[in-house]
Amino acid sequence: MRSLQLLPNPFFFNSFHAKTLTSPIPNPKSFSRSPSFTPVKSVLQWNRKPELAGDTPRVVVITSGKGGVGKTTTTANVGISLARLGFSVVAIDADVGLRNLDLLLGLENRVNYTVVEVLNGDCRLDQALVRDKRWSNFELLCISKPRSKLPIGFGGKALVWLVDALKARQEGSPDFIIIDCPAGIDAGFITAITPANEAILVTTPDITSLRDADRVTGLLECDGIRDIKMMVNRVRTDMIKGEDMMSVLDVQEMLGLALLGVIPEDSEVIRSTNRGYPLVLNKPPTLAGLAFEQAAWRLVEQDSMTAVMVEEEPKKRGFFSFFGG
Amino acid sequence: MASNWTLQLHSVSFQPYVWVRKPPALAGVSQLGIGYECAGIGYGRLSFIWNRHRIGRKFLIKSAEGSGSTDSGRNVEDDEILVKSGTGGVASKDYIGKMQEMIISSPAGVLLMNKCAGNGLATGICVVTACLAIVARVYLMGKSRNNHSGSVADLVRRGQLRSDRRGISKPLKYNDPFNNPLVKVDKSNSSVQMCGKVYRLAPVTLTKEEQSIHQKRRSRAYQWKRPTMFLKEGDSIPPDVDPDTIRWIPANHPFATTASDIDEDLAQNNVYQKHGVPFRIQAEHEALQRKLEALQNEQKLNNLFIDPGSVKDFERPFKSKSKSDEQHRNPEVCCINRISLQSFVVNTHHEVSY
Repeated sequence: MRSLQLLPNPFFFNSFHAKTLTSPIPNPKSFSRSPSFTPVKSVLQWNRKPELAGDTPRVVVITSGKGGVGKTTTTANVGISLARLGFSVVAIDADVGLRNLDLLLGLENRVNYTVVEVLNGDCRLDQALVRDKRWSNFELLCISKPRSKLPIGFGGKALVWLVDALKARQEGSPDFIIIDCPAGIDAGFITAITPANEAILVTTPDITSLRDADRVTGLLECDGIRDIKMMVNRVRTDMIKGEDMMSVLDVQEMLGLALLGVIPEDSEVIRSTNRGYPLVLNKPPTLAGLAFEQAAWRLVEQDSMTAVMVEEEPKKRGFFSFFGG
Repeated sequence: MASNWTLQLHSVSFQPYVWVRKPPALAGVSQLGIGYECAGIGYGRLSFIWNRHRIGRKFLIKSAEGSGSTDSGRNVEDDEILVKSGTGGVASKDYIGKMQEMIISSPAGVLLMNKCAGNGLATGICVVTACLAIVARVYLMGKSRNNHSGSVADLVRRGQLRSDRRGISKPLKYNDPFNNPLVKVDKSNSSVQMCGKVYRLAPVTLTKEEQSIHQKRRSRAYQWKRPTMFLKEGDSIPPDVDPDTIRWIPANHPFATTASDIDEDLAQNNVYQKHGVPFRIQAEHEALQRKLEALQNEQKLNNLFIDPGSVKDFERPFKSKSKSDEQHRNPEVCCINRISLQSFVVNTHHEVSY
């Protein structure tokens, strides 16, 4: 992990510093920054707490269209990052047939009740919510057990009820409700997007993923979800440099969506998945984990990236560099 | 034995070959000198070289007696044959005596012999330690070879998979990575230094106009209405429903079904329920309660119904006697009585029916 840390990571550049470069995308919703905010020297905004923008609960659906691009990984890591930032988060695994979010979070042994049981009256909603022991302000809710069938007639309505019920909780409304959407545009997709106000579109820089992402964006826009940001996952700078992979700017040009984050390809993702321990909790931080954390930061502030790193500059050598200076 | 010799020749002894190739006249001295240098490693080597010397000498004698050839390559070949045949270990006693004399007469050899004898204990310990290390290494190598690389056990062993304690680990503190010194932006905001390398920054060029153009393109390309009605394939469309908003769910859909055993309002109430016993648990509990009450009532009724009979139970000898009489007289009536009494007290069942 330390060796990975030494690798350059061109994906964390935060918009705050880049605002001086260009300001092409105004924020969709205005939000107030604290007057006591002091500009930071570091690109990675770690030395201040992000300020929540928008009305709570923010219901965010994480979708892609294509499978295997990292929706569940993004949900787990962004969700845990938000919890680490101090916001209360409820992550709903709306992948009815193939749920995996519990595995990524290492909570699979604690899921006893799901939304189906809540609907049937076998348990209450608070009994179906699985609280993470690491970050107590993070809760997981699975929509169904793998072998059970969801009565799809009121599947979407059920999620709307759930959001309403979470709003009216005694301990207060959660700040974020993150919905992990299943792949495809089937009944599960329709169910998952029903209560959402905003969407994160996860895509990889390949044409298959981009075509699906474009279609899904169209469906989301038809459904009335206008606040859509994209997260480009599994980016490899070496392949981009060799023109074997589309650059992030190319992807943005094709989809025309604001950038929430760019996640580099990282072997630590697989490792953390097998461990049941989200990447953002790794110590020392990994490249992808840091990128997820920055994306979560932007999500909180309804911000987006305005600059990305493209290539490495040759390091300027001084006069005494010949002597090792 | 022969194979052992062959192995030792290849793995341990590098000097004997040199020594065989020497002319026989000089071989005695030069071989011994080299042999004792090697013997500094250990006594085993010394004895081995001694034997090799004997073998070499025997071969030389034989070759001299036989073909008379002094070709060194042939000497080696014959030497190997001799070793493999197992006859090399046997040497004549007089020859050993000669050799010992030669050793003793050689001052360098005597010195080395004495030196080796002085360091014997240390050398032995070294040899034993080396042997133990080799054995341990071989054992460990074999053990690691037996492990299936890539298996779950292997992943667990390497720390890549924690099947036993998934989800339990030391969490990273939020304040930990604050103000990362590895990442700095230069004053002009045109490049960033990360982990000692400088990267060029490119601004995002997407404008609001471009975004709206993309939105318009998509709205033209994808006309979609969110389905509000889910019907099973084969169902008829209700008259006042837009066909575009209908989603057809196949009967064998893996996870979605149109059938629901619960009312929509009831499901909504279940979701909104904050306290108390969940609906179905409550309903099941009440149903069980009702069933129990019904059973109890039934038992009371039965008790009431058979109360006269049970009173008669106290008169067992009489009843059994009268019953046996009835049985003889009217077997059908007896059978009916038996059935009606089956729900009666178990303890008295046998006595009543028979």
